[in-house]
Amino acid sequence: MGGLFSSKNKKTSRVTEQDNAVLQLKIQRDKLKQYQKKINVQLEKERLLARQLLKDGKKDKAKLLLRKKKFQEGMLVKTDGQLDNIEQMVHDIEFAQIESEVVKGLENGNKSLKKMHEMMSLDDVEKIMADTQDSIEYQREIDELLSGSLTQEDEDDVLAELNGIIQQTSQENEDINLPDVPKDKLPEPSKEKTKVPKEAVLAS
Amino acid sequence: MADFDWPWQYKFPPFFTIQPNLETRKKQIEAWCTLILDYQKYLKSYSLDVKEAQNSPLFYNKSISRRLHEDGIYTILGELQKKGHIEWKDKGRKECLIMWRTPEEWGKLIYNWADSKGLLNTVCTMYEISNGDDSADTDFHGIESWLLLRALKSLQLEGKCEVMAGNEGVKFF
Repeated sequence: MGGLFSSKNKKTSRVTEQDNAVLQLKIQRDKLKQYQKKINVQLEKERLLARQLLKDGKKDKAKLLLRKKKFQEGMLVKTDGQLDNIEQMVHDIEFAQIESEVVKGLENGNKSLKKMHEMMSLDDVEKIMADTQDSIEYQREIDELLSGSLTQEDEDDVLAELNGIIQQTSQENEDINLPDVPKDKLPEPSKEKTKVPKEAVLAS
Repeated sequence: MADFDWPWQYKFPPFFTIQPNLETRKKQIEAWCTLILDYQKYLKSYSLDVKEAQNSPLFYNKSISRRLHEDGIYTILGELQKKGHIEWKDKGRKECLIMWRTPEEWGKLIYNWADSKGLLNTVCTMYEISNGDDSADTDFHGIESWLLLRALKSLQLEGKCEVMAGNEGVKFF
């Protein structure tokens, strides 16, 4: 994808040498086809002429004409063979072109893959992995240092306290007996009732 | 081929005399332009010889024995030239090239055809396009080489094809 205007700016022709070769072959093919057309027209003409000659009683001449016609028919067959050859050649070239493009594509892919591999050489990867390992070790050391500042006894105390708290909270949870949710309907709120307390507040 | 469908003006004698009234004349010339292009399209003709055309049915309606005279023909051809539909072949204005489709339109047609025939990314000869078996049922079968070349050049500007050396072939993209 080379932008909108790249094709105009680009001076390099997109026509390859092979394309030119194909064109030459196709031009040749067209010429052969034109030649065939010509012979076909002639054959038709001669057939009519031969019939006319026979009618007129000129047998010898008609025979000569038919011989010529036979010869031309042979030519026609030969040109057919040549046409086949040319078409075959064109197909071969076109297919070879496609093949070479495929190879080119594979090559490009390979190149970029290699480049990517170059960017991450084995040594680098090893080094990075080692660095990571070092960092992990370092972190572990720090952890040890921090937790190591307490003795085993302290550690036990901490655990005991923690257990105590857990027990307490669970007991508390059991002790609390919440009242049931009232099932009675709420009395209809009247306007007076709501207003009274407000007045009482004001009065006091 | 069906007979050419002549417009009603063709049987209207005053149509064959350039009208003095500006308004009428404008309409008349417009009608003539359409008629010429339609007729040429019907004939699949790509050029027009003024001398010969004077006696062709286009400018000479035998049934009402009216003909458009040379001056009139030149007036109308001048109008067509302004619109870009014709080009004079020589300075003496004896023969002109007629484009009842613009090269761009032809280009589009040819490109669509090439696409449908699977000819993209392939080399084609000019002969193949204009006279080949593959194009037998297309509008551009039998197109004249100058117009074909021009259509392809317009396609080339769009980057859809490239005319190859010697103007004998083209590669579609």
